[in-house]
Amino acid sequence: MHEVEIAVVGAGPAGLSAAIEAARAGAKVLLLDENRKPGGQLFKQIHKFFGSKAHYAAVRGIDIGCRLLDEAQESGVETWLNIPVWGLFGNHTLAVIRDGRAQTVRAKKIILATGASENALSFPGWTLPGVMTAGAAQTMMNIHRVLPGQRVLMVGAGNIGLIVSYQLLQAGGEVVAVIEAMDQIGGYAVHAAKIRRAGVPILVSHTIREAHGREQVEAATIVQVDEQMQPIPGTERRLGVDTVCLAVGLTPLAELGWMAGCGFAYIPDLGGFVPLHDENMETTLPGLYVAGDITGIEEANSAMEEGRLAGLAAAEALGYLREEAISRKAEVRQRLDSLRLGPFGEKRQRAKERLLGECRGQLAKQEPPDVSKSCQDLTRSRITVVTGVLSLEELAGSPGYPSQERLRSGKVAVIECMQQIPCDPCVGACPRGAISIAPTITDLPVLDAEKCNGCGLCLPACPGLAIFLVDLTFSPTETLVAFPYEYLPLPKVGTEVEAVDREGHVVARGRVVRVQNPPRYDRTPVISIAIPKEFAQVVRSIKRSGKR
Amino acid sequence: MRVVDHPILGKLPEGRTVEITFDGHPLEALEGEPILAALLAHGIQRCRTTVKRREPRWFYCGIGRCTDCVMIVNGIPNVRTCVTTVGAGMKIETQEGLGRWERADA
Amino acid sequence: MIEDKVLCRCEEVLESEIREAIQAGARTLHGVKIRTRAGMGLCQGQTCQRLIARILAEETGQSPAEILPATYRPPCRPINLSFLSGVEG
Ligand SMILES: Cc1cc2nc3c(=O)[nH]c(=O)nc-3n(C[C@H](O)[C@H](O)[C@H](O)COP(=O)(O)OP(=O)(O)OC[C@H]3O[C@@H](n4cnc5c(N)ncnc54)[C@H](O)[C@@H]3O)c2cc1C
Ligand code: SF4
Ligand code: SF4
Ligand code: FES
Ligand code: FES
Repeated sequence: MHEVEIAVVGAGPAGLSAAIEAARAGAKVLLLDENRKPGGQLFKQIHKFFGSKAHYAAVRGIDIGCRLLDEAQESGVETWLNIPVWGLFGNHTLAVIRDGRAQTVRAKKIILATGASENALSFPGWTLPGVMTAGAAQTMMNIHRVLPGQRVLMVGAGNIGLIVSYQLLQAGGEVVAVIEAMDQIGGYAVHAAKIRRAGVPILVSHTIREAHGREQVEAATIVQVDEQMQPIPGTERRLGVDTVCLAVGLTPLAELGWMAGCGFAYIPDLGGFVPLHDENMETTLPGLYVAGDITGIEEANSAMEEGRLAGLAAAEALGYLREEAISRKAEVRQRLDSLRLGPFGEKRQRAKERLLGECRGQLAKQEPPDVSKSCQDLTRSRITVVTGVLSLEELAGSPGYPSQERLRSGKVAVIECMQQIPCDPCVGACPRGAISIAPTITDLPVLDAEKCNGCGLCLPACPGLAIFLVDLTFSPTETLVAFPYEYLPLPKVGTEVEAVDREGHVVARGRVVRVQNPPRYDRTPVISIAIPKEFAQVVRSIKRSGKR
Repeated sequence: MRVVDHPILGKLPEGRTVEITFDGHPLEALEGEPILAALLAHGIQRCRTTVKRREPRWFYCGIGRCTDCVMIVNGIPNVRTCVTTVGAGMKIETQEGLGRWERADA
Repeated sequence: MIEDKVLCRCEEVLESEIREAIQAGARTLHGVKIRTRAGMGLCQGQTCQRLIARILAEETGQSPAEILPATYRPPCRPINLSFLSGVEG
C-alpha cells in the first residue's frame, strides 16, 4: 500500500492544476493517469485558446500542457502514468494496477479529475471501419501524426466538431460537410467562420441516416430534419466520404464517484449525471473532491480553475495555506464566474448554481433553466449563429468595425467577432490600446479606429482568427487585405492566388504582397494580398493550394 | 497516411523505427507509437472481425475506452491497439471473433 | 419503421432486441443488460450505456434523470479484468 496526503486521479488540465496548487501549498501529492502521457485532452488541442490573457489565452493547448507539466514537476508532484485507477473504496482508498500488480493507494484527500467521455450516435453502418469519434480523429492526427481519412463528414457543429474539422484541414484532409441536427450551430461563430472560409459547408437541421460500405465507409446519406428532429422524406443526400466523425457531446466520466457512493444530480446542461459538490469542490463524501469535466462539461479554462480550487481546498483542509486560502480561493472563484458570463456561459453558471444548491440539501426546484435571456442574446446576431458567416449589414453595425471614413483613410484593423464569448487577447496584443473589451470579458471587442495604425499585431493574437487588415489606399486600383492563414504550404510573395470570400467561394484573383511568420506570431502566419478594390469587404482568405 | 509536415506541429521528427509483423507481413513502425497508428500509416483499416455478425471493425474512440480496436498481439487476444505501444518484432494479427490464445510454448 | 441498427457495439445487440427486452419487462439498464447482454461487453457499457438509456426513457416514459447508470462495480477499466484473473502476460 502506498500512502499520500492527496491523490489526484486524472492528469488533464483539471487534475494537473489541482496537483500543482496542492503541492505548492506544501502537501504531498500523487497524480495518477491511465494514459502514457499526462495532459488529458490538452495535447490534442493545437489551436490557440480563448479566455483571458492572464490565464493562457492565445496560447495553444499543447503549450499550456507543457507549462503545466513543468509546473507540476517544479512543485514536487509525484506522477504515475499508465496507471488506470480501477476502483475507489470509500473516500480514501484507490485501487490501481502498477507494475502488473493490483495495488492500493491510501490518501487523506482524493480529487477526481477524470474528465469526460464522448457521446455515441447510432445509425445503420456506424460500426463500419471509418466511423469514429471526433476525439479519435484528433488523437490520431495531432498526437500520433496519422490522418484517419481523406474525405470526412463531421456530425455535430459544437465547438469540438468545428475545431476538429479545422484541424482535419490543417492535417491535409478534406471535410466534405459539417452537419448539425439543431437549426443553428452550437459552437462559437469564429470557429465556424474559419472552416467556412476554407469552403466547408455547414448544414444545419441535418442528421446522418446511414453510413454505407462493405469493408469500410464509402459514402454516407444525410437527411434534413424538421423542428421535431424528424427526417424529412425526399431530402436525403448521398455524400462520398471515407470517414464519419461523431462530435455529439460529452458525458462526465464519473464511474469512480458512483463506486464511492457520492451524491449525484442529473443536469442536462452539464452533460448528464454529475457528482454534487460544494463551493470547495468537495462532494457529499468528506475528503472526496471533483474538478473539471467530471463536474459538468465546460472548457479547459474552467477545468483548470476548478482544479486550482479543489487543490487549494484539499490542501487547506489538511492544514496548509491557513489565512491565505480564503483569498486565493476567492480569486479563483471570481475567474470562474467571469468565464461563465455571456450567452454561452450563462446556462452553465445556472446549472452550476443548481448543483451547489442541491448539494446544500436545499433541493432546488426542478424548474427548467431559463434560457430565454440567452436566446435573445443569440438572436441579436442570428445569421452569425446559423452558419458562422457574417453578413455585411451585421458587420457594419459591429463595434469592431471601422467607419467607412476611417477605412478610406488607410490601413486599419477589421474585427469580425460578434458573439459574447469569454475571450480578450486582442486587447493585450494592441500596442496602441485601440481595442477594448469592457466591463466583462464576454463583452464584444470595441475598436477605436482612430488609434489603430494597422500594425497588424492583433491578427495572430486572436484565437478566433477573426481580425483582418484592410488598406483601401494600397494603390489606385487595388486594396490590400491581410488575414491569418494556418495551412501548408504558405503562398509565396508575388504569386497569383485565388481570393475567397467568407464562404470560401473564389471571387477574385489576388497577388501575394507579404507573408509574415515571425516567432512571436506563434505559428499563425499573416498573409497580405492585393485584390481589386471592389472586393475589400468580401475577400477574407485564399483558396488553399492543391485543393479543389 | 502520416502527417509528415504540419502547419502547427512542424515536421515529423525523424525517430527510430522498429519492425513489426501484421498477419505475417513485415511493417515498419515508429518507435513509441501505438500499434494502431502504425497500421493506419500503412493503410490497414481493420483490426478484427466481430463474433456474431462477422463484421469488420477498426478503431472508434482512439483512447482505450471502446475496445473496438482489439487485436491479437504476440499471441494474446483482446489487446487494445490504440493504447499499446509497438515493440521490435511484435507480432500483430487480425482478431477473428473472440480470438484464440497461442500456446506460450508455440 | 426506422432501419434496425446495432446499439451495443461490443455485444452486437440490435436496437430492436433492446426494445423487445423493454417490452418484455426490463425497466433499468441492468434489466436490459441481463436480458440482452447489451452493456456487458469488453468496454463495460462505456460506449452504449447512454444510447440504451435513451431507448429506455423513450419506451417506458421515464425521465432520463430516473435512469441511473448500471451499478458500477470495480474494476471500471477493461484492461483490469485480465490482470485480476492473472492471465495477461
Ligand atoms: C475530444 C475532445 C476535444 C475537446 N476540445 C476542446 C477544446 O478544443 N477546447 C476546450 O477548451 N475544451 C475542449 N474539450 C473539453 C475538454 O474536455 C476540457 O477542455 C478539458 O480537457 C477538461 O479537463 P479535465 O482535466 O476535466 O479532463 P481531461 O482533459 O479529459 O483529463 C482527464 C484525464 O483523466 C484520465 N482518467 C480518466 N479516468 C481515469 C481512471 N479511471 N484512472 C486513471 N486516469 C483516468 C484520462 O486519461 C485523462 O487524462 C474537448 C474535449 C474532448 C473530449
Ligand atoms: S492593427 Fe495594430 S493598432 Fe490596429 S488594433 Fe490591431 S494591434 Fe492595434
Ligand atoms: S476578436 Fe478578440 S475577443 Fe474576439 S475572438 Fe479574437 S481575441 Fe477573442
Ligand atoms: S479505439 Fe477504442 S479502445 Fe482502441
Ligand atoms: S458497446 Fe455495449 S458493452 Fe461495449
